[in-house]
Amino acid sequence: MSSEQDHLKETDTEARFDFKKEESSAFQTEKGLTEETVRVISEDKDEPEWMLNRRLRALKQFQKMPMPTDWPGQPDLSEVDIAEIVPYIRPDVDVRAGVDDWTELPDEIKDTFDKLGIPEAEKNALSGVGAQYESEVVYQNMQERWEEKGVIFMNMDKAVQEHPDIVREHFMTKCVPPSDNKFAALHGAVWSGGSFVYVPEDVTVEMPVQAYFRMNSEGMGQFEHTLIVAEDGAEVHYIEGCSAPKYSAFNLHSGGVEVFVGEDAHVQYSTVQNWSKNTYNLNTKRAIVEAGGRMEWISGSMGSKATMLYPSTVLKGPGASDNHITIAFAGEGQNIDTGAKVYHNAPNTKSTIESKSISKDGGRTNYRGLVHIADGASGSSTSVECDALMFDNESTSDTMPYMEINESKVDVAHEATVGKIGDEDVFYLQSRGLDDDDAKQMIVSGFIEPITEELPIEYAVELNRLVELEMEGSLG
Amino acid sequence: MSGAQLPANLSAETVREISEQREEPEWLLEARLDALDALETLDLPDVIQTPGRRWTNLEALDFESLVDPLEQVDETERTADEGVEVLTFTEALDAHPDVVESAFGSTIDPQENYLTALSAALFTTGTVVYVPEGVDAEDVTIRAEMNSRSLFSHTLVVTEESASVTILESIESGADVEGSRYFSNLVEIDAGENSYVQYGSLQNLNEDTYSYSLKRADVGTYATVNWIEGNLGSRLTRSDVESELNGDAAETKIVGAFFGHDDQHFDVNARVWHNAEHTTADLVTRGVLDDEARSVYEGVQDVGRDAWDTNSYQRENTLMLSDESEADASPKLIIQNHDTEASHSATVGQVDQEDLFYMVSRAIPPRRARNMLVEGFFVPVLEEIEVEEFRDDLEALIAARLQ
Repeated sequence: MSSEQDHLKETDTEARFDFKKEESSAFQTEKGLTEETVRVISEDKDEPEWMLNRRLRALKQFQKMPMPTDWPGQPDLSEVDIAEIVPYIRPDVDVRAGVDDWTELPDEIKDTFDKLGIPEAEKNALSGVGAQYESEVVYQNMQERWEEKGVIFMNMDKAVQEHPDIVREHFMTKCVPPSDNKFAALHGAVWSGGSFVYVPEDVTVEMPVQAYFRMNSEGMGQFEHTLIVAEDGAEVHYIEGCSAPKYSAFNLHSGGVEVFVGEDAHVQYSTVQNWSKNTYNLNTKRAIVEAGGRMEWISGSMGSKATMLYPSTVLKGPGASDNHITIAFAGEGQNIDTGAKVYHNAPNTKSTIESKSISKDGGRTNYRGLVHIADGASGSSTSVECDALMFDNESTSDTMPYMEINESKVDVAHEATVGKIGDEDVFYLQSRGLDDDDAKQMIVSGFIEPITEELPIEYAVELNRLVELEMEGSLG
Repeated sequence: MSGAQLPANLSAETVREISEQREEPEWLLEARLDALDALETLDLPDVIQTPGRRWTNLEALDFESLVDPLEQVDETERTADEGVEVLTFTEALDAHPDVVESAFGSTIDPQENYLTALSAALFTTGTVVYVPEGVDAEDVTIRAEMNSRSLFSHTLVVTEESASVTILESIESGADVEGSRYFSNLVEIDAGENSYVQYGSLQNLNEDTYSYSLKRADVGTYATVNWIEGNLGSRLTRSDVESELNGDAAETKIVGAFFGHDDQHFDVNARVWHNAEHTTADLVTRGVLDDEARSVYEGVQDVGRDAWDTNSYQRENTLMLSDESEADASPKLIIQNHDTEASHSATVGQVDQEDLFYMVSRAIPPRRARNMLVEGFFVPVLEEIEVEEFRDDLEALIAARLQ
């Protein structure tokens, strides 16, 4: 067994995700955000004029929007002071836009991704991999056979240069405009890195493509942008992973994800988020789905100090469908505020949302979701199911769904339950020889199973392991 | 600061005049004047907002033209069994000054929002139901008719230890008044240990009327408060029915029914706070929307840190009879103690097409079949009503609306 695999077997969360590398960068901006910062980022990337202008417009938008503070029960964002954030750090890598061979990376960066098991996964289960370190993608590779079919999987910065037409049409225009929310505006001003995925008509990318995002420096903000365009009849599964070591100062992650699902196309977007517990994770993710297309969001939120994330789907064409699967786990000091938004804007559209949350040791989870059925979207149906499991009376579990129904020929159902770990269940398992910790772990695994069984096997294993790690932290 | 306009003829003088006419004690006049002063800084009740949408627009209410403080007229008939006192608010100030003083504002802070303060400053009618220890009072009825442009009512229910009472309140419009009208109805219930209250309210105001209703109960140890809230009338109704389960083993049921047509707007809300151990709540709301009617529903189940062994359930079902109608719903769970069994569900849809098909195949005309299904839809709510008279009233109103 190789040393990397040995490392994967380690069950200590600190060792696996919390290792720090010395901060060494080729270029980084000053802390804070001014027009100058934005110009410097754009210049360092040698961007075309139109992108600079979009950044500057987003900056203006950011400056005039208020912080979101009046959502019922929302995470406290008072600590998030943009003046304290380093928005842009370019790591010291020779090749702009990333190398395509792990061995060309500086040792400390290669070692980081080795420890996270990314090169190993690439060999076994993925069509392509992108790896982002700080603000830039340092590694990007895709199997040749997909390239031959016209599939594009490249770093977002490079896509601005090489595919300006597609990017200019889709980048923060009709899907996630900077005016959507304050952090989308911030993202629009200082975005860097991320992935661009283009799948031509009727091409099915059989194995998933993965991007991994790593923040290493203290007090930095990561703002990667992901743009996925699946043409009519195309199919792709995109996986995103993220982590960072824990520092005393806060880190900010504010990604932007835009997905365009063509007619009868199918996109699955899976995320396992394991940011360190000093990270504010404030993302905007949205998909627009044409007739007969299908969008799936699968999200596991384990890390971060506070998360506000509500992946959205706009079902634009008749017969379009959406599936959301969400798992949130909040331990001590964590506030995971997550959910889903679906807009049914055409007839015969369908959505299902399944949410499972676990809160313990004073953590707070909240399901916050919106389903909107527009006038004329007849024959549409939506089903929302939220289940929450609580460990103790220090923790909080909230459920706040919103339903807006403007059409009568619909089928709308929402259900939610909250409960504790059953003493009887624990007692039974103990009587069968399990100790208290194992019994609880087994109950939690069972609780999230309906969701993990929908995941690709590698991800289900990863998610289960993270849940086990979270459980180990304070049980026993 | 609220967006609402102060009525032009609203001043400390007006408030003094109302209070003096009724020979009220000093403490009540002070409470009224304090509420009047607070109006400037108070906001309208919260309404739900989602990106780009505000579910109910209370800001559009023009209180300047809706409120005519010195011309409030109502015709209210109050009946009760022996042994229980059902008095007008003014009579109660004489008969039970201490009960009224301690109950007024004890569950609804007059300065909670702009509309509660407006009510505290201006109310001229209302009822006090006082049930002494151990007394069983059945069939208290309060039938109110609103005969002026605006009317503010404040009702208190106080049940002492092991007392019980069922109350039916109905509100209708009497004399015609040209233009829009405003009705405000606050109800406070103080349910003592091991007491029982069922409070049914049926609102059938004419459809030029804007109505605000806030009903809240403080439910003591082993006590039960069951609410039934029926809304059929008014142009726009904002109705909040709330129970605070403050005593161990306290229970509540909040049952709601609404039936909107034309361009009626119902903003109905049911909320419960579990603040003690072994408490139970069941929230059931059923509504039907026809034409361009619109409903907004918020249900809140809030389980506090110390609410061990809680059971809390909520169901909301809306039936849409027309494509032009709109139903918005937000059932919320806020749980801070894990020793809880809580669930909620909400559905929106149309009359079941298979049921309809079956009935039509049995030679029932389609329209009649639909009406029977709508009447059947309300049965779970009707079954909760203990006062037969009230059940018949509600059934008759539903049947009338279906014609």
